[in-house]
Amino acid sequence: MHIPDGFLSTPVWAALDAAAAPVVGYVVRVAQRGFDEAKVPLLGVMGAFVFAAQMINFPVGIGTSGHLVGGALLACTLGPAAACVVMSAILAIQALVFQDGGILALGANVINMAILGVLAGYLPYHLWGRSRGRRAAIFAGGALSVAVSAVLALAELLISGVRMPAAVLGVSLALFLVSALIEGAITMTVIGALEAIQPNFVRQPAAGGRYALVAVGLAAVLLAAGGVVVASRAPDGIAQLAIQTGISGRARTLVSTPFKDYQASWLGAGWPAQAAAGLVGLALVGGVSVLIWRKR
Amino acid sequence: MHHVTLDQWSRGASVLHRRDPRVKIAAVLMFLVVLATAHRELAWLGAALFTVLCVAARQARLPLRGALARAGVVLPFTAVFAGVSWLAGDPARGAVLVMKSYLSALAVLLLVSTTPLPALLRGFEMTGAPRFLLMVAQFLYRYLFVISEEAQHMRKAALARGATVGGLAGNAARFRAAAGALAVLFARSYGRAEEIHRAMLARSFPGYFRPLIELHLHGGDVIFLVLGVVTPVALRVLIERAA
Repeated sequence: MHIPDGFLSTPVWAALDAAAAPVVGYVVRVAQRGFDEAKVPLLGVMGAFVFAAQMINFPVGIGTSGHLVGGALLACTLGPAAACVVMSAILAIQALVFQDGGILALGANVINMAILGVLAGYLPYHLWGRSRGRRAAIFAGGALSVAVSAVLALAELLISGVRMPAAVLGVSLALFLVSALIEGAITMTVIGALEAIQPNFVRQPAAGGRYALVAVGLAAVLLAAGGVVVASRAPDGIAQLAIQTGISGRARTLVSTPFKDYQASWLGAGWPAQAAAGLVGLALVGGVSVLIWRKR
Repeated sequence: MHHVTLDQWSRGASVLHRRDPRVKIAAVLMFLVVLATAHRELAWLGAALFTVLCVAARQARLPLRGALARAGVVLPFTAVFAGVSWLAGDPARGAVLVMKSYLSALAVLLLVSTTPLPALLRGFEMTGAPRFLLMVAQFLYRYLFVISEEAQHMRKAALARGATVGGLAGNAARFRAAAGALAVLFARSYGRAEEIHRAMLARSFPGYFRPLIELHLHGGDVIFLVLGVVTPVALRVLIERAA
């Protein structure tokens, strides 16, 4: 989900731009260590591959089709840092040439999809990629990469004050879950096919160490799980802040709605129900992963 | 195709095309920030900024209608959220989302269709973005056309073999076939990248692109920079004062 300009409130886009700049700088340095500078065509061409991969449709039943998003696939083949760089380059080209995603929102999109999405997608493979549950880990990685980026984007929109009725929020979370499962299945099948062509396309995860990677990946998953819960309560927090700082008059049209006190009808009231919905989603991804594990 | 048209537009020779990419980047960033942080008198501000962009497009000798239509690529996404805001009882916010995202996209479109991408990325490099990332982006853009064409060929071949004919194969089999096609595309892209790398080494690639033209700020660029930065700010201040 590419956020265009004009959707995020100033504190959100400014903070995420400020966060993305050093993070991308760091990731580029790590990637350069693994790939000398002359190998830059590999990353560029693989970015073009991810673009082109969208043309190949995967049938997912009842007349619909999905396509590869690619974060987890790149992380398993090029390594997490290089995958972050490739995804950042893709987002930059999409924002500039295709007007898909904003320029001020580029920091947000990079953090959601190129950094946290990719690292969350690599986390299961890093942890269990050497065990018997390798295929399940790849599936979970693909699913997590899409789920984490989508939910983070949604949370940022909600924090920015974009209002969503509970039903719409529920439907979009359900859609995210479905597309996450599709991405998991696509990533797993494509990696299987790749290994049949040439096994060394897929990197073995480094044994042990890399605590920072595990920490960031875990943090991304937790952020996403907690994000919607916090965000769905946050607009009121922002309204409170606006009143305190005296800009409420100015921002009235942006943060107040006639339905201020409405309650989520079918999700139930308050955060426990929403948190439960998030946990059910995670459990579903986990359940399918376990099924794949068993099937081997 | 969208990017091919923009690429053709960016090869023009108007006053805007000749400006240094850095001053154009600065002007567009200022425009975006002024628009994104505005909360008052949005209808007037939107109309004024829209006029500025239309004048700029005319100056750049771009087909105005085509540019306005192409900036509309953001509208499907925005329309969904505008609809949702409307459902949540806040139609004004929906209208603001449409206006801000459309004008931002139009501004970026003007930047890209008056600056060839290599020059634009060079401009970003000189403003401090990591060179490695920009080189990856440049390669990505260069091979986007090549790899996409390869994917198109594979798609056509699959269609010719009856990939979409219902009943010929189950969903699971077609899913596996698509995965196989993607794996082949991956392997071919990887192989192509290695060939490119060898060709570059053979030509003693120094690890960075040597710019063909050095960027220099001329008098016209400075005037454009001042105009580009001051205009949106002045418009906003004037409109908010008048209200």
